[in-house]
Amino acid sequence: MRYVKLPSGNFEDFFNSLKGIGQIYGPVKEGKTHHFRRVEEAGEMDLKYTRTMLPPKKFFVRPRERLFSLEDGWWRKDGDGKPFVLFGVHSCDVHALKILDRVYLSEPVDPYYAERRKSAFIVGISCLPDELCFCKSLGTHFAMDGFDLFLHELPDGWLVRIGSVRGHEVVWENARLFDEVSDEDIANFKAFEEKRAEAFKRELRSEGLADTLDLAYNSPVWKEYAEKCLACGNCNLVCPTCRCYEVCDRWVDAYRAVRERRYDSCFMESHGLVAGGHNFRPTRLDRFRHRYYCKSYFDPSAGFNCVGCGRCDEFCPAGIEHVKVLDEIRGSLE
Amino acid sequence: MNPYESHPARILEVKDLTPREKLFTLRFLDEELNEEFTFRPGQFVIVDVPGFGEFPISLCSSPTRSPIQLCIRKAGRMTKFIHGMKEGSVVGIRGPYGNGFPMEDMEGSNLILVAGGLGMAPLRSVLWYALDTGKYEHVWLFYGTKAYEDILFRDEILHLLKHGSAMNCTVKLAYEIESPSCIYLEQGFSDRVCRGVVTDLFRGENFDVENSYALICGPPIMYRFVIRELLNRKLSPGRIYMTLERRMRCGVGKCGHCVVGTSVSMKYICQDGPVFTYWDALSTRGLI
Ligand SMILES: Cc1cc2nc3c(=O)[nH]c(=O)nc-3n(C[C@H](O)[C@H](O)[C@H](O)COP(=O)(O)OP(=O)(O)OC[C@H]3O[C@@H](n4cnc5c(N)ncnc54)[C@H](O)[C@@H]3O)c2cc1C
Ligand code: SF4
Ligand code: SF4
Ligand code: FES
Repeated sequence: MRYVKLPSGNFEDFFNSLKGIGQIYGPVKEGKTHHFRRVEEAGEMDLKYTRTMLPPKKFFVRPRERLFSLEDGWWRKDGDGKPFVLFGVHSCDVHALKILDRVYLSEPVDPYYAERRKSAFIVGISCLPDELCFCKSLGTHFAMDGFDLFLHELPDGWLVRIGSVRGHEVVWENARLFDEVSDEDIANFKAFEEKRAEAFKRELRSEGLADTLDLAYNSPVWKEYAEKCLACGNCNLVCPTCRCYEVCDRWVDAYRAVRERRYDSCFMESHGLVAGGHNFRPTRLDRFRHRYYCKSYFDPSAGFNCVGCGRCDEFCPAGIEHVKVLDEIRGSLE
Repeated sequence: MNPYESHPARILEVKDLTPREKLFTLRFLDEELNEEFTFRPGQFVIVDVPGFGEFPISLCSSPTRSPIQLCIRKAGRMTKFIHGMKEGSVVGIRGPYGNGFPMEDMEGSNLILVAGGLGMAPLRSVLWYALDTGKYEHVWLFYGTKAYEDILFRDEILHLLKHGSAMNCTVKLAYEIESPSCIYLEQGFSDRVCRGVVTDLFRGENFDVENSYALICGPPIMYRFVIRELLNRKLSPGRIYMTLERRMRCGVGKCGHCVVGTSVSMKYICQDGPVFTYWDALSTRGLI
């Protein structure tokens, strides 16, 4: 990895230099929550945020997107490949994109996702956890790859890790904005990371989690929670690794139709429904349990399907807490 | 290459099989594709009716014969629409998808095909393949159906009832609703046609379990009973293959609809299946 320093005074110039790549999206505060929005000025962003409501997945797997348009009786592919910058992505969300990559970039490659992934320039940013974050338990609190540049806060600027060739190019082209990293910067970087590691309050016991959950298939705890759950699907929508989609053909007028896909949620009764009315996950209990199984799926090559961002807790209207559910399930076995 | 893009195919023939099922014979407009297109029995395609939607359907013809055929039940919105389509119309086809049955591994063995209702569709592909290649010792087909009118591919089934033994093939039929045609059949083939459910057809049969494979397809409820019957006869779980259905949208492991299992093992029916062994069912909750 190559490291350079971006002094505070050059931050705005650096931000403006990224406009050469394309439209910039960054974390903006609206009311009580943060959202990734188009930004023109560095000052519009709030870089001290904990989490946005919708994760950066919305740029790659769109809440609703057009796959094809019907033209002269047959499909024409839609899609956009305009380069853009995602500024201020947290480490957990970088990891989440890697989880999405594993699905969408594996054979056969999803061309819509791949196009956007290629068009995105990702600038990561360091953060401090709040009481809902448990990324450290899952090893997703630090990203080693999956970004172009990663900014770590220093008292007088940013330590920049360069994660890709394009990252190198941007630093190269704007060499005048960057300094070499000094011993003091390294000490500050280390101090920040240590402070951060200690700031985590929530912990997920992940050892043996996958097997534990499987063994607890009939635990009464599932049932208790399934009764509390409103089956609203919020937790799916805000989760940076949830990616189920539904496809629908829609007529625009009498002559033109489009094929669209949009987010789906495994909490919806229709998720496992097939023709003839047979449902493979007929009860809310089945669906509640399924989500936890899916999020706690352990891929030996990549880890869990959850990155510990805490969004599902923050945005659950029933106040259901991910780690608490898993702890109680584990407890019901012991 | 866009995996969601279907290829236009012309409906060459539409044939009524039963009041609910029609057989569609299709040919791609692209001649090269007709040459290239091949598949394994047990694989499926996604049928695309532009402007109305897509749905998964098993290939019910055999790769040894062309053109391809699909047996489609009128089950809802999209399948109703395609039932209204006529010869000459064009639909889209993408695929083939899924793993299919491991036909090569089973060469030289007996095949016990167990079909319930529409489950006959993918198994017809196996049946034809086995008979066309002649690479299998003996083929049994146990077919459970509601009534005489519901027997899919009735002409072919009746033909095999009469002449199957010459092809090392034994067809047995169980029906649930009595009718004159069934009684007539039962009189003609008293050893092979009976009133009852598909498991009743196992009675009196002795398989060399060391050299047989069972291939099952039918409604969800059927699997448990058939599998119990096969296990009682000491057929190894690794020799029991079943093909499963789930809600499907993409067919290629992206949309998440067909995912089953728990944190330890999650499977995509569309890619890891739709054919699974009974070992898979034992290690993946919710598979059957
Ligand atoms: C691997 C596989 C192989 C199959 N092989 C065969 C076969 O050989 N022959 C056969 O007849 N069938 C087969 N099927 C079943 C077949 O796919 C279904 O019968 C077919 O999809 C029914 O579609 P439909 O629109 O007519 O039914 P519907 O009941 O209208 O819809 C089917 C499903 O799609 C949902 N849906 C429909 N429209 C919408 C919408 N606008 N928005 C949201 N959800 C919607 C429904 O909720 C339902 O879950 C197979 C299925 C699988 C998975
Ligand atoms: S399950 Fe919850 S904590 Fe885990 S990644 Fe999804 S939203 Fe974040
Ligand atoms: S957000 Fe909460 S209430 Fe809504 S579906 Fe998820 S767990 Fe249930
Ligand atoms: S059908 Fe989409 S993942 Fe299997």
